[in-house]
Amino acid sequence: MKQKIFIIAGLLLLIAVIGIMFTDLFSGKKQEQTNPYDYKMGEIRKTDSNQTAYTELLTIKPALVEIHAIVNGDGDRIYVAGKNGLEIYKGDGKPDGNFSFEGVASCMAIDKRGKIFIGIQDHVEVFDQIGKPAGKWKSVSPESILTSIAVSNSCVYVADAGKKIVYRYDLNGRLINRIGEKDPQKNVPGFIIPSPYFDLALGKKGELWIANTGRHSLEQFSDEGVLNSAWGEASMAIDGFCGCCNPSHFAFLHDGSFVTSEKGIERVKIYSPKGEFTCIVAPPSAFTEGTRGLDLAVDSKDRIIVLDPERKQVRIFVKK
Amino acid sequence: MPGRREFLNTLMRGGILAALGLLSGAVIFRSRDGKSCSYGFDCSGCSRSKSCMLPAALEARQTVWQLDMTKCIQCGRCATNCVMSPSAVKCTHAFAMCGYCDLCGGYFKPGTKILTTAAENQLCPTNALKRKFIEDPFFEYTIDEELCIGCGKCVKGCGAFGNGSLQLQVRHDRCKNCNECSIARNCPSQAFTRVPANKPSLMRGLGKERPGTAAKKGGVDA
Repeated sequence: MKQKIFIIAGLLLLIAVIGIMFTDLFSGKKQEQTNPYDYKMGEIRKTDSNQTAYTELLTIKPALVEIHAIVNGDGDRIYVAGKNGLEIYKGDGKPDGNFSFEGVASCMAIDKRGKIFIGIQDHVEVFDQIGKPAGKWKSVSPESILTSIAVSNSCVYVADAGKKIVYRYDLNGRLINRIGEKDPQKNVPGFIIPSPYFDLALGKKGELWIANTGRHSLEQFSDEGVLNSAWGEASMAIDGFCGCCNPSHFAFLHDGSFVTSEKGIERVKIYSPKGEFTCIVAPPSAFTEGTRGLDLAVDSKDRIIVLDPERKQVRIFVKK
Repeated sequence: MPGRREFLNTLMRGGILAALGLLSGAVIFRSRDGKSCSYGFDCSGCSRSKSCMLPAALEARQTVWQLDMTKCIQCGRCATNCVMSPSAVKCTHAFAMCGYCDLCGGYFKPGTKILTTAAENQLCPTNALKRKFIEDPFFEYTIDEELCIGCGKCVKGCGAFGNGSLQLQVRHDRCKNCNECSIARNCPSQAFTRVPANKPSLMRGLGKERPGTAAKKGGVDA
């Protein structure tokens, strides 16, 4: 009887051992290795939802392979440029035209006559509304990387991240002067552009503003290159500009407020004309982590148009 | 009685044999799971694919281990899995790519307000990343390899907020060049790879690339 019990107990033990071995072999629960040096980026990307004053109204999906530049034109037509082409959309997102060209458009502007100025690597090409070429400007330098264009009634301003300088041209492409060259006598510290994001835009009164990204500031220059004012603070907090070099893009609302976008911590925010943080348009959670190049435009109704190159979308945000 | 005992004995022997058979089958099944080995060979038909050391043994004298930064996810295992202590993987700096930023995402902890070298501001757990003022507003960042443990925190910060000039690389003066690298075995992104010993670096941005060119080549140039 005793032997029987031993045999049964032995069998049970064997079954238990085999069971444990099988569980261990097939459970698939490999011991997770925790990272004691984990850099938790999630915490940095969190924002207070009460500070987000905008909501996404509409998403447009352009057919272009790559999208890099956006402009709001006459009649709130949205122009999107990218690799080898340009597409035009009505304010409600319906397609309204397109044309092709060779090269990757990195920036774009439209003048009052409807001429389209497109920056392609190191030079500017001009097109009419149906895509007929109307000029190709000479490259300033083979090292140039054009990142932003703005057009006033008499001038075209072009930002060059490669040479870290802004050029002022007349409307026919003749270089008038350079803006932002380091000049201690004029108290111009020069642009610090560590990465190819270097935006400029014309303010409410047509004044020139340039993003000095390495200094995390927006600077206002006269046409002659005199630095009139600047604001901005480096910070990962919501009221500052994060990372090595931000804001990567900016635009203006009709009351002169600044709309800014950043990379690193992807976010779109609004600052008052004095440079005080007002609210969030789109928090980091609205974007895919690692998104860069959130170009901005504002239409006549102050809707904020965000180009999302990562998701290949044009996203329109309106006030809640 | 003897008949019952004999029956139980036979049952037990049979049970053990069946269990052993099942175990062996399972082991063979598991080892056939891998479709290709980490050395780049097609192992879909090989039953020893996971444990095969042959390719590494063949290559060991001509090749060395290196970390492919395009695959690296800065999981921290280079710091914890290397047989060397501290790890033979170190942070290295592609100066040609660096923005020499004041607010360096690889140097400062998030939320740092005053940009000083105070220990509480530093992201590096061992104070291995050094910051030196060059001229307004530029700062140079260098790595003290004796202190660096290869955790990749600074690499992650630099990649997220900067140009990605800080990169992890195997230092071959420290690496034992094991046939079966302990880090490679545990690397979740298969970023460890063998490279020719005469071309042992997989750093990006060693050429004097202009800003933006890395981005155009699919790099992380921000």
